[in-house]
Amino acid sequence: MLEMRGIEKRYGAVRANRGVDLVVPEGTIVGLLGENGSGKSTLMKVLFGIVAADAGTITFKGRVLKQHGPAQAIAAGLGMIHQHFTLVDAMSVTENVMLAWDRAGWWLRPKDIAREIRTTSAAFGLDIDPDARVADLPHGQRQRVEIMKAILAGAELLILDEPTSNLSPPEVAGLMEVMRKLKARGHSIIFISHKLDEVLEICDEVVVLRDGAVTGRCPTTGATKASLAHMMVGRDVTASVERAAVEPGETVLRVSILSRSDAAGVARLKDVSFSLRAGEVLAVAGVDGNGQTDLADCLAGLRVPTSGGIDLCGLDITFAPVRERLQAGLAYIPVDRATTSLVPAMTVADNLALREFDAAPFSRAGFLTLGGFRARARERMRDFDIRAAGPQSPARTLSGGNQQKIVVAREIGRRPKVLVAFQPTWGLDPGATRFVIDQILALRAAGGAILYLSAALDEVLMLGDRIAVMHGGRLSPPRPRGDVDVTEIGLLMAGIDPAGIRAA
Amino acid sequence: MDLATLAELLSATLRISTPLLFAAMGGLISERAGTFAVGIEGMMLAGAFGGALAALLTGSSAAGLVASLFTGMALALVVALATTRFRADQMVTGLAVNILALGLTSFLLRGLFGGRTPVIRLPTLPAWPVPLLGDIPLLGPVLFRQPPLVYLGFLLVVPVALYLAKTKSGLMLRAVGENPEAAFAVGTDPQRVRTLAILAGGAFAGLGGAVLSLQEVGTFTDGMTNGRGFIALAAIIVGRWNPFGAMAGCLLFGAVAALESRIQGWGLPVSSYVVQMVPYLVALGLLAGIGRSSKMPGAIGAPFLRH
Amino acid sequence: MLDPGPLVPRPAPAAPTPRADRLRGLLAGGGAQTFGLTLGAIVLALVITAGLILLAGKNPVTAYGALLRGAFGSLDRLAFALNKSTPYIITGVGVALCFRAKVINIGGEGQIALGGIAASFVVLMAPASLPAPLLLSLAMLAGAAAGALWALLAAFVFIKRNVHEVLCTLLLNFVGVLLVSEVLHAPLGEEGAGFPQSPLFPRAGWLPGLIAGTDLHIGILFAVAAAVLGHVLLWRTTFGFRLRILGASRPAAAYVGLSAARSTALVMAIAGALAGLAGGIEVSGVHNRLIEGFSHGFGFNAVAVALIAGLNPLAVLPAGLFLGFLEAGTLAMQREVGVPSSLVYVIEGLMMVFVLCAVGMGARNRKV
Repeated sequence: MLEMRGIEKRYGAVRANRGVDLVVPEGTIVGLLGENGSGKSTLMKVLFGIVAADAGTITFKGRVLKQHGPAQAIAAGLGMIHQHFTLVDAMSVTENVMLAWDRAGWWLRPKDIAREIRTTSAAFGLDIDPDARVADLPHGQRQRVEIMKAILAGAELLILDEPTSNLSPPEVAGLMEVMRKLKARGHSIIFISHKLDEVLEICDEVVVLRDGAVTGRCPTTGATKASLAHMMVGRDVTASVERAAVEPGETVLRVSILSRSDAAGVARLKDVSFSLRAGEVLAVAGVDGNGQTDLADCLAGLRVPTSGGIDLCGLDITFAPVRERLQAGLAYIPVDRATTSLVPAMTVADNLALREFDAAPFSRAGFLTLGGFRARARERMRDFDIRAAGPQSPARTLSGGNQQKIVVAREIGRRPKVLVAFQPTWGLDPGATRFVIDQILALRAAGGAILYLSAALDEVLMLGDRIAVMHGGRLSPPRPRGDVDVTEIGLLMAGIDPAGIRAA
Repeated sequence: MDLATLAELLSATLRISTPLLFAAMGGLISERAGTFAVGIEGMMLAGAFGGALAALLTGSSAAGLVASLFTGMALALVVALATTRFRADQMVTGLAVNILALGLTSFLLRGLFGGRTPVIRLPTLPAWPVPLLGDIPLLGPVLFRQPPLVYLGFLLVVPVALYLAKTKSGLMLRAVGENPEAAFAVGTDPQRVRTLAILAGGAFAGLGGAVLSLQEVGTFTDGMTNGRGFIALAAIIVGRWNPFGAMAGCLLFGAVAALESRIQGWGLPVSSYVVQMVPYLVALGLLAGIGRSSKMPGAIGAPFLRH
Repeated sequence: MLDPGPLVPRPAPAAPTPRADRLRGLLAGGGAQTFGLTLGAIVLALVITAGLILLAGKNPVTAYGALLRGAFGSLDRLAFALNKSTPYIITGVGVALCFRAKVINIGGEGQIALGGIAASFVVLMAPASLPAPLLLSLAMLAGAAAGALWALLAAFVFIKRNVHEVLCTLLLNFVGVLLVSEVLHAPLGEEGAGFPQSPLFPRAGWLPGLIAGTDLHIGILFAVAAAVLGHVLLWRTTFGFRLRILGASRPAAAYVGLSAARSTALVMAIAGALAGLAGGIEVSGVHNRLIEGFSHGFGFNAVAVALIAGLNPLAVLPAGLFLGFLEAGTLAMQREVGVPSSLVYVIEGLMMVFVLCAVGMGARNRKV
């Protein structure tokens, strides 16, 4: 049904897709496996027409798709279920379907549409109530509404992009059923995921991507989890950075059975426990959406845990306000540079003072000491090589790398006791990435304790004295770097317990 | 209170609510599509002026009504352009337009007549009694012996409600107000929808102004809307952005205003000024009581940015 | 990517001179650009109103000439214009601070009204033996306090109940103005006067004049002080820093640990106090009595002034002067040429719309 040949796509210096071939026959489910940055999303964006490929051909049902946009893709019979839904929360399912559907006419007949929804829902096991308000639906149900919309619009090939990332296990099982029914009716599905067991369960064939190229392609019947994990992740521990031998000091951070459920009642953190010692890096690998944001924000004071405790050098900071945590020696580099850790409209100097402006040397008795701002800015700009026209340049005029240097300079420059770094190298070029890593190692050598959360396995392996994996809100028991096997990490990231495999 | 007084009060309530109702319907359409309707005060004033002027020049109230539509829309065009094309802040643009309307109407009133305020004395629209129904005791005069714009105002609520709830176009409008990205994903142009909604709002608000100058008072005076547009806004919020709810809100504020102007005559030991404060305090109290309503259109206030 | 490679030498450790650096920051921050756009907005507004003057059958050149003479023509006229500017500047500083924190406070008129009421009470009820400086200081303080409380009333509603601040402050405007009438009706009203007004203040309660022989009162000094203090508050204090962060990005404010509620309430109180002070100055300096409608339109004018000033307290000074002179000028224009003075509102409204459009398009370039 679908043939993609030789797809090439570059973003600047990065080759997101390198000569990728993908064939999807009718009535099959093909799994697209790979970690963050492997090129899966880009490939699908090319297929659906959101971006144009630099080279390669796409043939769908005998017709060539070229220079097309989403509207043409939908008309040709492609349907894409994104990770972020385009549904209007305040409206009902029926209304959302009517919105997307030309055949609804100018005078709405919600009862007729609702009937069609029920019929289709029954046929595919979607179990959708047409009158329900989308805002009230759990994530899994919303996803089904999106699937329904695609089916009603005539999609024959459905692309599901990480569909199970926010689903509970029963919802996942339900989705699998729906996929089987779709297959039975002759539809094809491209199932994008990083979760091995799901891929093995539902897909007929698996294509593995790594760094933009296909590293493996096989039917699922013959595949083993270990072989797939290796294809997905396969690399050795690169010791390309100089790591000083640091003797870890006393425990500075103790997190006990930290749990958090979000507003919808879904558990995002499940009994996370670990401790951190001075002079060590605990690097946590894991694909986005497995609870890292909740963990980082709970530690930083931006979100409140539902249960459990956080202890910093003997101080219970579980519910402490941000100021208190800062004073106790906690630093936080969040993943979002654009609106959280930086104020792009403010100057470099102001951003460097952002977290401590109401104490010396930045202010005295409520008045800002601008000399202090400037002095600190000059110091940090020199020590951390922040390239800007001057301390008074607005932060938004700096490159991404230099903006992150501001954040790093601010948080690390304070010599914190504990640093929580969440994807600090996101969106940075290799030079800036290297810089951040060097800074973190320098902090480690000076006795700081670092919790490093990242989806980039390279960094995790490079930095961690101990390495753990987050999946589904749970933290695997941290293992010293010498004991770590890359394939095991891959399995853990995909949600499979290696102990089970070894025992088998 | 005897029956005659009650009937008179109810009748006055309906009449006083009418301009509020027009403005509220207009504001509702604009807000459901995602633009704060802070400017309807100015659009109302513009409509009152345009209506009075046209009626004066042509001698026809109908011409006045049509003119009020256009003058209201003219001001709405300013809001629409500024907020969609130039991404100006919706709230403050509304305020600016109110000031502009005040200035323009006062200026043109004198400027077009050689610098002196003309004497405008227009015949106010008389009541159009509905035969038979108008003779029902008590309810008859209240509901069926009203000037024509009262009928129009209350009857308009139904088509507005039907439009929003039952037509594809209304569905699109609501989607643009809730989640313009979703609407964009299915092929709508949110900027266009918002612009048209603001213009429609201006037309309705203009009519509301015409009710004041052509039906109620028979003349135009500077700033004669005197905050009615803002009361209409409060009615929209109190009515949870639903046409019938907004209508109820307008009736509520109309009743308070009717009571207030009659309380003097009852010799109650309450100062007339304190009584005049009541509508505003009631509005504030209701808003405080409701708090942030979940019914507020989700994407209101945010300009739609195409990626 | 602007990141220069290793071939570009690093900036010298000795930083560039502070003045050059600040200038660069100002320009890079779009200061020149914003100023240029504001100027363009004013010019465009004036051009359009020239067209309207033509429509009214008058000559724009003579009309604008009369306007300029009306504003600057004589010492008396200057005094009149400066007096007019005073409340706009003082209130405008408060509004600018609020808008910086993205709190859209348009309750200036109500806060000014309450300030006038409080000041009048103090002046009229105080014992006659009180020396003038003390009397006036108390009156002004009372005015500021009343204005602050009125603002905090609105703030309480919109912070606690999450109602939009525009409606809260707006509705209280009407109530505040009615309170003036109510107060003049009974406790403070002058018997037998044809117009709702209080008795004339005793001389001790008159704001002293600045230039003998003119009507100019010392209020303008308060205005200058307010602009300067506002500037210092915004750019040189930790509170101002908080306001700027809050206005720039809510997530950043949370990340830094700011309490949005506390900062909002404080800035509202400051704005209310400034407005209340303006009200006190107005009744004490211009009318020498509490008079119905004395605050009419002041709140919106303050918003216009704050916008034109680009939300910079120091720039509120020239912006407020501009509006004050414009008002004085249009009154003279009406007297001499017959062009209605309501033109000033047209110019004001047009300027606001144009500035808002300019800001909307180039919002990224404003210095925060």
